[in-house]
Amino acid sequence: MALIELNDTSKLFGFGDATTLALDDANLVIERGEFVAVMGPSGSGKSTLMNIIGLLDRPSHGVFKLDGKNVSKLRPNRAARVRRDTIGFIFQSFNLLPRLTVLENVALPLAYKGVSLSKRLKMASNMLERVGIQDREYYLPNQLSGGQAQCAAIARALVNDPKLIIADEPTGNLDSAASRLVMELLSEVHKMGNTILFVTHNPELTRYATRVVYMHDGAIIHDEKTALGQVASTAKRALYRLPVTTEEDDLAGVSALMRALPGKPAVPTRKSTRKKAAKTAGPKGTSTRVKRIKK
Amino acid sequence: MRSITSGHVKAGLDSVRGAKWRNFWTILGVIIGVTSVITVVGIGEGIKQQITGQISQMGQDLITVRPSSLKATGSDSNNNLTLLSGLNVTGSLQKDDLDTISKLSGVSSASPLSAVSTNVVADTGKYSGGLTIGTGADLPSLLNQSLAYGAFIGADETDSNVAVLGKNAAAHMFKEDIPLGSTFKINGQEFLVRGIFNNFPATPLSEQADFNNAIFIPYNVAQSLTKNTAFIYEILAKSSSSSNVDKTTKNISAALLKNHGGQKDFAVLKPNENVAVSSGVLNLLTTLITGVAAISLLVGGIGIMNVMLVSVTERMHEIGIRKAIGATNRQIMSQFIIESSVLSVSGGAIGIALAYSIDGLLRLFTNLRPVISWQVVATATIVSLVIGIVFGTLPAVKAARKDPIDALRSS
Ligand SMILES: Nc1ncnc2c1ncn2[C@@H]1O[C@H](COP(=O)(O)OP(=O)(O)OP(=O)(O)O)[C@@H](O)[C@H]1O
Ligand SMILES: [Mg+2]
Repeated sequence: MALIELNDTSKLFGFGDATTLALDDANLVIERGEFVAVMGPSGSGKSTLMNIIGLLDRPSHGVFKLDGKNVSKLRPNRAARVRRDTIGFIFQSFNLLPRLTVLENVALPLAYKGVSLSKRLKMASNMLERVGIQDREYYLPNQLSGGQAQCAAIARALVNDPKLIIADEPTGNLDSAASRLVMELLSEVHKMGNTILFVTHNPELTRYATRVVYMHDGAIIHDEKTALGQVASTAKRALYRLPVTTEEDDLAGVSALMRALPGKPAVPTRKSTRKKAAKTAGPKGTSTRVKRIKK
Repeated sequence: MRSITSGHVKAGLDSVRGAKWRNFWTILGVIIGVTSVITVVGIGEGIKQQITGQISQMGQDLITVRPSSLKATGSDSNNNLTLLSGLNVTGSLQKDDLDTISKLSGVSSASPLSAVSTNVVADTGKYSGGLTIGTGADLPSLLNQSLAYGAFIGADETDSNVAVLGKNAAAHMFKEDIPLGSTFKINGQEFLVRGIFNNFPATPLSEQADFNNAIFIPYNVAQSLTKNTAFIYEILAKSSSSSNVDKTTKNISAALLKNHGGQKDFAVLKPNENVAVSSGVLNLLTTLITGVAAISLLVGGIGIMNVMLVSVTERMHEIGIRKAIGATNRQIMSQFIIESSVLSVSGGAIGIALAYSIDGLLRLFTNLRPVISWQVVATATIVSLVIGIVFGTLPAVKAARKDPIDALRSS
């Protein structure tokens, strides 16, 4: 039985003229023990997919089965318990609680589970040792470097021993050294048998994954298995054809990636007749911001 | 569940410490409410205890007879009556009432208390710090009051110019420490000091009626000093046994009614009725202040609700994080209710501390002896806790209902 199973899952935001189809009839099956990278241009629905799989959000249509159980219409409190017991979250902006120490942050999921104070502090301390920042136990989050903060967040995600780890751009706020540290850590977790889903814009990082899923305009447009330690071939083509150095290259890089994808138009504009308008959010973003407003 | 509670109490205390001044103004209503209720109830309780203390000292068999109204007649510049300054007061009780009561079978002894307008001159000059009271030889036994020095007016001295002084009166009138055998003048007549009372238990509310400041002289002498105008403001009668107080009270009532030609212009009070009169007034006062305090607690509660609503909005992102890592709606709700309760209970605690300080100041600078019972403190604590829970519920529900993804997105 697959750990994650999406059947024609869609997510709509807004209503009337402002309706956005953020996830468009997605079909995805992820087995236990996979290490999946999710790629795609900004606004392609990666976070939306992560939020639905992470039970932070509910799909508008379709079925989402987690561990064989249909969880697409779970009540908020049941969803909270599933999140607590089976899912660990890692965010781009770390999302540690600023007024709690690192140790207290890591222990928090255990608190919601009802573990006694002394026991959960001990477990949290062990987890911090595993991620290598035990000497920062009593620091506040704003006293940590980005890399250390993300390590603490990983410790927090792992402390409840979840089956599934969801990381939405875990290296988005980190430099390459810290990114590598975080990815090595996730690799280790993967080797222990956990299933990991992560979003990234960096093709290099697909070398940690066993599978890469490409998204565009809310749809999963390509899905490939890769060998561990190898940059995914599709991502690689995009990466080496056009080295990304400036913002404009970045934009071009996405186009290149799109071109590299089999059976896709060279320029990411209209995907189907259903899509009415495409809007670019301007050149200010760090990567392309292709926003689509659909009816 | 218990394991997160301690963390939330800590978080609550942190947020109390965090935004100190804003929170101080928030809980001011609770502070004022708690302080005023505890103080007023404490004063009332103190007065009750003082009165009850007097009664239990006097004994459960002491019957008090009072005119039911003191009539103020035209003021007379010569009369300087300290009970009601500048007024010449006549009562309905007469000497033959006293004789009637004394002769009743259930009464073992009786003494009048008669305030006399006098001009007292002693070693230190004119003394106007207390009453001159005409009374009978049985007064010390009726009041269960002992003398520090000398003896009280004897049964054979009812027409002699002798006086017994209250403790403070003795200290004020004479230079020497124990003025036994000294003399002083009342309305020009010379009086001999026969004795000095021990301290009378404090009389609440009225400084002037304090027996410690009074001069006691024989009733007959008081009559002749004032040409029979000294009025009796109270007759104290001891029932021969405490079991027939009720019967004796009725007998006195009936006998006096006959004396007064059927007119009930007097009151015969049993010991506990004496308390009832004052506690009625006190209860009214307590009710009034409690009402005021309730309003200020309501205002305080609304203040807490406001601050919690702001806090929930400010901390939406935190709520999102907590939900993402598995907090249920109930757990988020209890977090915020605990925080608002910590706020309101801190207000209550400050209020209690303040009430204790006010109590100390009252004891230092006034005649009042407020009593703060643990029941009142416990009630105040519970009430502030309830306020925190009640007024924290709305913000807590708002926090708990928030969609996790919306909460995470807000910054
Ligand atoms: N709460 C929302 N309300 C309305 N539209 C939304 C909401 N959340 C997402 N969207 C829209 O859904 C689409 C997909 O957004 P999503 O955040 O999933 O993209 P993404 O692939 O994660 O992009 P990025 O790489 O920039 O993080 C976007 O067009 C976005 O504007
Ligand atoms: Mg995203």
